Amino acid sequence: MFVTPNFVRIDIMNEFLKDVIKLKRRILVVDDEEINRRMLSKILSSEYEVLTAENGDRAIEIITGERELLSLILLDLYMPGKDGYEVLKLIRETPRLKKIPVIVLTSDGSAEVQSLKLGAADFIPKPYDLPDVILARIEKTIQLYEAINIVKATQFDPLTGLYNKEYFMEYALVMDQFYREREMDAVAVNINRFHILNEIHGRIIGDRILRMIGRALKEYAEEHDGIACRYDADGYFLYLPHGEDVYSGLSEKIKSIEDGIIKNIHNRIRYGIYPRSDRKCDIHRRFDCALLACNSIKGDYKREVSYYDSSMLEFEAYSERLAADMDQGLSEGRFKVYYQPKYFIQSEEPYLSSAEALIRWDHPELGMISPGQFIPIFEGNGMIRKLDRFVWREAARQIGEWKRLHGKSLPVSVNVSRIDLMETGFTDEIRSIMDEAGITPEEFLLEVTESAYTEDSDRIIEVVKNLRSLGMRIEMDDFGTGYSSLNMLSSLPIDVLKLDMGFIRNIENNEKNLKMVELVMNIASYLNLKVVAEGVETKEQYKLLKKTGVHLVQGYYFSRPVPADEMEKILLKG
Amino acid sequence: MITIEKLEQLGCNTAEGMERCLNDESFYLSLVPGAFERKRYEELERMIGESDLKAAFDEAHALKGVLSNLSITPLLDCVSEITERLRAGDNGDYSAILSRMWEIYSRFEGMLQ
Repeated sequence: MFVTPNFVRIDIMNEFLKDVIKLKRRILVVDDEEINRRMLSKILSSEYEVLTAENGDRAIEIITGERELLSLILLDLYMPGKDGYEVLKLIRETPRLKKIPVIVLTSDGSAEVQSLKLGAADFIPKPYDLPDVILARIEKTIQLYEAINIVKATQFDPLTGLYNKEYFMEYALVMDQFYREREMDAVAVNINRFHILNEIHGRIIGDRILRMIGRALKEYAEEHDGIACRYDADGYFLYLPHGEDVYSGLSEKIKSIEDGIIKNIHNRIRYGIYPRSDRKCDIHRRFDCALLACNSIKGDYKREVSYYDSSMLEFEAYSERLAADMDQGLSEGRFKVYYQPKYFIQSEEPYLSSAEALIRWDHPELGMISPGQFIPIFEGNGMIRKLDRFVWREAARQIGEWKRLHGKSLPVSVNVSRIDLMETGFTDEIRSIMDEAGITPEEFLLEVTESAYTEDSDRIIEVVKNLRSLGMRIEMDDFGTGYSSLNMLSSLPIDVLKLDMGFIRNIENNEKNLKMVELVMNIASYLNLKVVAEGVETKEQYKLLKKTGVHLVQGYYFSRPVPADEMEKILLKG
Repeated sequence: MITIEKLEQLGCNTAEGMERCLNDESFYLSLVPGAFERKRYEELERMIGESDLKAAFDEAHALKGVLSNLSITPLLDCVSEITERLRAGDNGDYSAILSRMWEIYSRFEGMLQ
């Protein structure tokens, strides 16, 4: 039932000791009778290195000095001075010594029981058994203790003292076998952006947090007849009998361990719970499901808990399918860049000012896939980098082509992520793309989301400043969805605020939204920024926005995103 | 000089004792004199005479261990009996068993000399 990992297999260890480092295990024989010591030494010396002690004090001296190297102690119980019982008691009560097995040497039946109760591993009667019997008993005892010691040393995570993942899974299976009818919850617990805590406060504080959380989770698990482990750097699993209030219970437990240095650590904890986990599923799979639920809210500051349901698995399979198909889609030209025009509206008649490049995927089997579906997936797995670069190159090439063919310059904006901006050489890459396409920085606009500025803002600001120094214009996308302060906004190197479409929706019926837009216009005016409104769908919205002074609009009212050939017609129409 | 034959003549189960010494005759014979340290038997007698039963038991028990490992059977039987009486806290008359012990001991002592 219990699978011992290969690296703790005792026969492998024996082979290593014997054949690789040519080591004989060391045994201490403690007996006040020289004849007994010599006789045992004779029996053991072919297989072991034998040390001897003639009394209890000398034995303790040797044991203390050799503790890491002693494989076994053969201990006579009756000795003058410190007797074998005292030595045995001391060994068993000293944590660093108690892993050494002790076999007692005795001629009394009653002493055998007593010494086993005191923690002796075995006994060898006097007169001694045949040498082969003694050697066999010693070998078995050493093997057993070495296996136990290795298991003890490897089953726990050294930092938190919780089980490690491998043993946790084994013990979870054991629980299933003993409690066949019990419904069990698989729980994944993760610390949101833990690496940032480590970076800001240092590893020592980070480790302290991990230990404190581990301790709290262990307590909770023990109080509820469950088990807990640390499964990776900042993640934990718990396997618990089903409860209706697991989330609130765990959350309360974590809140109770508030640290003096890191305030509100509980706000960073995310819980993924697979309630009444399906026992027909492999135990690893069940925790994958809990983790899937947990990861679904990773980075979401508003949600702390997510419960696994089968749709998550379907979504996971769908995500994997899209990830697997992306490269083929790119090579077969299934990804298309569409363009949505932006119109300047603060003139008598609106006129085409620029456009935004947007990606579309015409999948051979799944049909047209909304970017709202595949972009978050590719952002999550990092594949967005490749797709972004495809869009940048294609948009730049198209701008250049229109310019060459028609002598018309249409600035096009492309989206860049926070990850892109953080990459070394990003500015050079953009410059090279523009050079290759034969376009100017004024023709290539970059849209950066507001949220990109919230972390490592100094670094982002530095990169954006460099880009502007090339003559590029930067649009802050989705403005109003992040948490920019006015103070921060004034220091950001941007040219345009792009109002999130949430403000525009129902603007004609929602006084508050209209007031918000007016407020943003005041701020933009103060900061000397242009404002773009996206998601404009009706004439009424357009009129209201024009009245508030919004400079540019983008949306279905003027045009949906269109393929390059249609955009070309719009461009030519002017 | 101690020999296997002499020990056997005196009733020792040398085959058994030798087996514990991996059938190394000279090693076995080198251990035997250690089981006949006269002083230890005298001490045992003294302790019994002084009714120091605890100390006497420890000594008898230790001798029993050595004699049994070497299979010095005749003396082992005698010392075992003393050990068990002492273990039971018997403070009675040990003169008969002690005299038997010395009688057997003297036979071996002759051989040792």
